[in-house]
Amino acid sequence: MIIRSAVWRYALMLCVPCVALVIVARQVYLNTHYGLSTWKGGGMGMFAAADELSNRYAKVFLVHSDGNRDALAQFTPEDMDLLNRALEYPARKNFFRAARQIGSENWIPAFQRRPVLRVNGNGDPMNAEDKAYRVMVASPLRPDTEEKRPSVEIQFWKLTYDPHTRHLHGSLAETFVFSPEELFRSRAMPNDS
Amino acid sequence: MRIASSTRSPAVSARHSRGATTTGRPLASVPGIGRLIEFTQSLDLVQTISVLTVVSAIIFQVDHWLFRIVSGICFLMFALRPSSLRRPQFWFALALAGTITIILTWEKVDNHKYLLVYWTWVLFVVHLFREPEQQKRILLFNARFFLCLIFLAASAQKLSSPSYRSGEMFEHYLYVDPRFAAFGKLIGINPEVGDTVTRKIHFLRSPFADVEGNDIHIEGSDRARTAAIVMTWWDLGLQLSIGALLLIRKRRTDELAHLLLLFFIFTTYLPAPVYGFGWILAVMGFTLAHDKFPKIATGYLLSFFAILLYQLPWRDWVLKS
Repeated sequence: MIIRSAVWRYALMLCVPCVALVIVARQVYLNTHYGLSTWKGGGMGMFAAADELSNRYAKVFLVHSDGNRDALAQFTPEDMDLLNRALEYPARKNFFRAARQIGSENWIPAFQRRPVLRVNGNGDPMNAEDKAYRVMVASPLRPDTEEKRPSVEIQFWKLTYDPHTRHLHGSLAETFVFSPEELFRSRAMPNDS
Repeated sequence: MRIASSTRSPAVSARHSRGATTTGRPLASVPGIGRLIEFTQSLDLVQTISVLTVVSAIIFQVDHWLFRIVSGICFLMFALRPSSLRRPQFWFALALAGTITIILTWEKVDNHKYLLVYWTWVLFVVHLFREPEQQKRILLFNARFFLCLIFLAASAQKLSSPSYRSGEMFEHYLYVDPRFAAFGKLIGINPEVGDTVTRKIHFLRSPFADVEGNDIHIEGSDRARTAAIVMTWWDLGLQLSIGALLLIRKRRTDELAHLLLLFFIFTTYLPAPVYGFGWILAVMGFTLAHDKFPKIATGYLLSFFAILLYQLPWRDWVLKS
């Protein structure tokens, strides 16, 4: 193919760099304003900050209408995929997507209630607290009866390291609560793109 | 836009071999190295870059079924009919598959995977043209542009990041990131520290544990702190220098930038297993150096082998020793 027009030649030569610049600018904007990890989204900031998945985590709870809470710790690959994507780009619509996927699972208690373990700063378990949660697992079977679905609460946590004290600190960045009405009122939510 | 067909100029390889005899003389006297430099020079730039990019798409691919299938088909087509690399449709398919994959999973795709996709689009544009000079012009422009963008944008993001500037990020990774465990052991950091910290972090993450103050102590060392600060400023200094030197576009500064880039590739991807990124950098460096600096181009060629060798399970060997 011989492209003789100089304008076309320049346009073709510059098109990929122009797209790359736009994507970098978008990544920097989302990173600055919406917490997108510096490692993701098409910027150039890998190893620019310790804000990737290993330093972000979520604690997920099912909150029942009677106020009882079940902590979730075992997720399906689909749950994990959406949860990780939300952690990389912690926008509400992404946590909503993860919550809807998690909330649609048939969660059943696997064991008796497990007490919350109290741990000191050296990582040594000290004692069990009064607080306890049921260990929930996602069942592939559909529930026998259609029960009222619980709300899904996702706590978004960040890990930060202080080199002076050599302490690693977990801080709760944001809590997202999604009611069953919000999660399941429609399969085609407008902000679910 | 008028379209016609033409054939590749046969003068390309002859011009390459002339360049080798003038600039590769001191090393050429060493048996083997001279032949290697001549071999590098005899390679057709567009063809070589195309092959290296296809190999990159296969080995360091974007992790998605669509890209796996399309890159596999492309590689098969290349193996059965190498001239398929010259068809823009070949690159369009690869670039489109990469783009769709990235759009579908953009929040979890590492930044350097975007580079691979940009580069496949560049090769698509290159193969829209038949004139070798125009193809080379597009390759050279884009290689320089992306190397400047990669290093200068990375430097800017690092300089604007407090956790990077303080050395906190590398120190943190030296303790907790398994990718750095073997390197940490080589510089005297006890791998058991990482294991202990990982166990403690597990408590922090678990809803079935309540860590006092959500705070855990790391039994670190001053050695790790020093190493982290050295790594921080070594990395930033190198990246800033490469980007800035390539921006100047003078022969002397280009040569220096290439030497720094080679040093960066050979040293960075030994501890940091981001091989796909190293490969793309080497492809771009090779593109720029091929005609002007035959010895440096040979260095880039060797760096491809080094990147492949770095994937040996040396980390396991170090940690088990």
